[in-house]
Amino acid sequence: MSKKITTTYTRMALAISAAVVGGQMATTATAAETTWAGFVENATYYRDDVGLSKFRNTAQAEFEKKLESETFRSLSINGVLRGTYDGVYDLNDKDFGKDAQESHLGANWHDADLSNMVLAPGTPFPCENDPALCNNLDGYMDQHESDAAFPEFNDQLDFVRELYVRGDLPLDNGDVFSFSLGKQQIIWGKTDLFRVLDVLNPVDYSRHNIYDELEDIRIPQWMLNATWRMGATETFDDINLSFVWNFDKFRPSNLGTCGQSYSILDAGCFFSSRINGGGPYVINDVEEPSWSLANTQFGVKWEGVYGDATFSLNALHFRQQLPSLHALPGPGDNFGLFNIEFPRVNLVGGAIDYYSMDMDAVWRLELAYTQGEELARDLNGHKETDMLRYVIGFDKNLVMPSLGTQSAFLISAQLFGEHILDHVEDMPNEEDNWIATLLFKGWYMNNRLSPQIIMAHDFGGKATAVAPSISWTPDNHWMFNLGLNVKFGGDETFGWSPVGGEKVYEPLARFTNGPIGVANQEDEIQLTVRYSF
Amino acid sequence: MRNKTLLTLALSAVMISQAQAEVSDAVIESSFYPYKNGVPSFPGLSAGMTINQGNVDQFKDALDPAMYSFIKNGDTELKVGETTDFVLDESYIEATRKYSSGVTLGAGHGEISETVAGRPFPEEPKLDDPRAGEKLAWNFKYGYNWGDSASIYPFYWKYRDMNTGKVERTIKFNFHFLNFTHRTQHDPVPAIDPNPSEFFRGTYAEVLEPYDLKNTQLLIHRFEDDTKLDNVYLYLGFQRRVRRLSSGQTTDAFLGSDLMIEDFEGYNGRISDMNWTYKGTQNILMPMYNHNDLTNFDTEVHQNDPDGFQMVAYGGKGGCFQDITWQLRKVYVLESDPVDENHPISKRVHFIDAQTYTIPRTISYDRKGDLWRSFTIGQAHPDYHLPINKGSGVSIDDSVTMIDVQANHCTTAQFKGIVDPNLSPVDTFTVQNMRARGK
Repeated sequence: MSKKITTTYTRMALAISAAVVGGQMATTATAAETTWAGFVENATYYRDDVGLSKFRNTAQAEFEKKLESETFRSLSINGVLRGTYDGVYDLNDKDFGKDAQESHLGANWHDADLSNMVLAPGTPFPCENDPALCNNLDGYMDQHESDAAFPEFNDQLDFVRELYVRGDLPLDNGDVFSFSLGKQQIIWGKTDLFRVLDVLNPVDYSRHNIYDELEDIRIPQWMLNATWRMGATETFDDINLSFVWNFDKFRPSNLGTCGQSYSILDAGCFFSSRINGGGPYVINDVEEPSWSLANTQFGVKWEGVYGDATFSLNALHFRQQLPSLHALPGPGDNFGLFNIEFPRVNLVGGAIDYYSMDMDAVWRLELAYTQGEELARDLNGHKETDMLRYVIGFDKNLVMPSLGTQSAFLISAQLFGEHILDHVEDMPNEEDNWIATLLFKGWYMNNRLSPQIIMAHDFGGKATAVAPSISWTPDNHWMFNLGLNVKFGGDETFGWSPVGGEKVYEPLARFTNGPIGVANQEDEIQLTVRYSF
Repeated sequence: MRNKTLLTLALSAVMISQAQAEVSDAVIESSFYPYKNGVPSFPGLSAGMTINQGNVDQFKDALDPAMYSFIKNGDTELKVGETTDFVLDESYIEATRKYSSGVTLGAGHGEISETVAGRPFPEEPKLDDPRAGEKLAWNFKYGYNWGDSASIYPFYWKYRDMNTGKVERTIKFNFHFLNFTHRTQHDPVPAIDPNPSEFFRGTYAEVLEPYDLKNTQLLIHRFEDDTKLDNVYLYLGFQRRVRRLSSGQTTDAFLGSDLMIEDFEGYNGRISDMNWTYKGTQNILMPMYNHNDLTNFDTEVHQNDPDGFQMVAYGGKGGCFQDITWQLRKVYVLESDPVDENHPISKRVHFIDAQTYTIPRTISYDRKGDLWRSFTIGQAHPDYHLPINKGSGVSIDDSVTMIDVQANHCTTAQFKGIVDPNLSPVDTFTVQNMRARGK
């Protein structure tokens, strides 16, 4: 991020904060009660054949300050503050951090092959090791090691994770106007683990790949969410119309910088690679859109309940949060081969869930059609294509006394599909691909002991993740969670023209193998201890 | 639209047909004013005395079997109060008079003719009526309960080890209830319109504490059609979205407590899920009292209440028993045994308070027929509770304990029940409200 943009952004954030607070004063609001809650947590993960991969220490505090208002039925200021220190860069600087050299690009994923003759290993934390590459990646993957160790303490003031005001205004006709304004997460859709409609906030995959709760890894944005709640009508049991305006400066998803313990798709090291023998860098420049009114993002959602079904129709104008590589005719001004861009995308979609009384189960369907996305390909770096993504989900709560508990188990299965409408042969992503997930979760000892298993299988990548865990909550404050995260697969290769079309790992097969397959050497045992208040 | 029209027509037809025949004064008096001509008595029993291990045998017939066992074992003692009149709101009584003369059971199990409001079967139950139990169950379902709407604001649940007394978890909720139909007191009566799916009742709950459950919200829509399963929605704070739940698992231990969802309020399921048997009428001691006359309160769990309200205290073995007074009352004994043979319970015995049709005591038995759990809902008189509840005619659920006698574990709950329609507007019971209130 450039200095100028950062300054503009920070001022804007402060201005909106002031407006939020000032706005309350204008409604003759007075402060009532304030409630605080939060936790301190240590997450220690150990990676097979590597060693310590995470020693994350988090402190989080949340508050809600209710305001009394003559105008609004309810009005409050809400905030979430979070600070994190990940000690892995101090405790295991051999494998992670600015000195974490790898033998070949993708060494934490695959053996060396012909592609590694062309591409050099990625430079860990380029801004610590290669000023020219750091300049090329300016504003995107330009973290220093200390930024990874203390991820919230940055120019975007991410330690203020959320800060927004929200309220309900009763209307004369009995409807309600609800709003929330400020830095926040806004969630669309009904899918766990994968995002179809839930794309309003970008995501920080560097925290723990795709495996942390989205709640903890969505990157909050400065947004307005205005909802006209019409309630029941002659036809619908509930109907609402929402408008979302993301007026924040665009932020892409964080894929993890080379040298971090979690770098989804190993993209960070690929972006910090170069042609062997001192050749050009892979990345020449990052073209992040600057803040302007025209660059803001907005969407609308119509949502309701009809009988046994709840549904939504969604439309969104936003930007692709994953990078698109645009090939240059030759090495660019910064001696790089590709510029990273984040194209504009239009999305229409919807979601529905239906309770089947006969099956005593819930079916979920979520669908999104986008125009403007760009996917990787062998020739020319990228191709724009329309995309169709969908999820079919099945949820059932089932009491199984034979398993020794009277608490109902949750069985949740999902099939996440992706169809590339303008697919071409040199795309590493398959024209149609599916990922299946299964969650089986139970509760014992008055719900204080909870074992679960999550499984995910990527059909195209022939990759599987299995994550069993057990959580123990001895009282209202302490929580201990012990888990395993084991992956299989990641062995797919894809033809690459610079090596004569030979099937190799780098750089394209990372898309074929997906986030599960590329992390195939990240088998871990994970212990989390939390004290909440 | 079609459904709504049919409902309107049906209601109109019922209202017209019943306008010509009202329930007699004698039936109304017997049903709603059982103590008009005096309160029941039991030899040796008097207000102010305490029943304990030493004298409990003398009062065995004035106690349900589980309470007798607890006292006999020395797990608790029972303070006796005066029998008091818990008169329900006049609007409910008048609705009974107006609408209930023609109400009949349907041909099928769990079916009833069209009803508008009030107690559908106000006549005294008869042992020779094979469907008397079913009628009592309907009277409970359409009882005045929390009135047209109310809130428990807040509501503390404690999970306790009965052997050690250790409190394992404390959960703080807010609960809200709203009747969409069968309304009698607050406009609109008798039903909220529009109501296209014909909801009978909405229940909305949100968890305030502890942190790991904070922002969890639950919304239940119960339908007029008793054969239809509830629509249940869950908002999880850590997911920030509404999940639909399959609702057939009513034997689920709710949030790990000792209560099944089906246990709430005495019975919280479909009439058609149980076979109902009326076992007779008795005068026994029930946990009904004047909250403001209690002498011992829990001063720790809930502090600095703006109304100065204090929560009921607990004591006895493991802290599993309310420190309240009990009074001798006219009670209908009703047994329910599940239609589903795989149900974990073989039967429940409900002790229904004849005047209010609340269920202050329920005992349940496991599949082997052994005593499993004992459920007590302390009922507080509205005129001796919060000032806002005075005159509401609602028998206030005020304190709860569910004791699992096999696991030696209990869940207790302390209420601040508020009968104030302003706390439970209809939009509280919408899915969108969960998103708006969620973090």
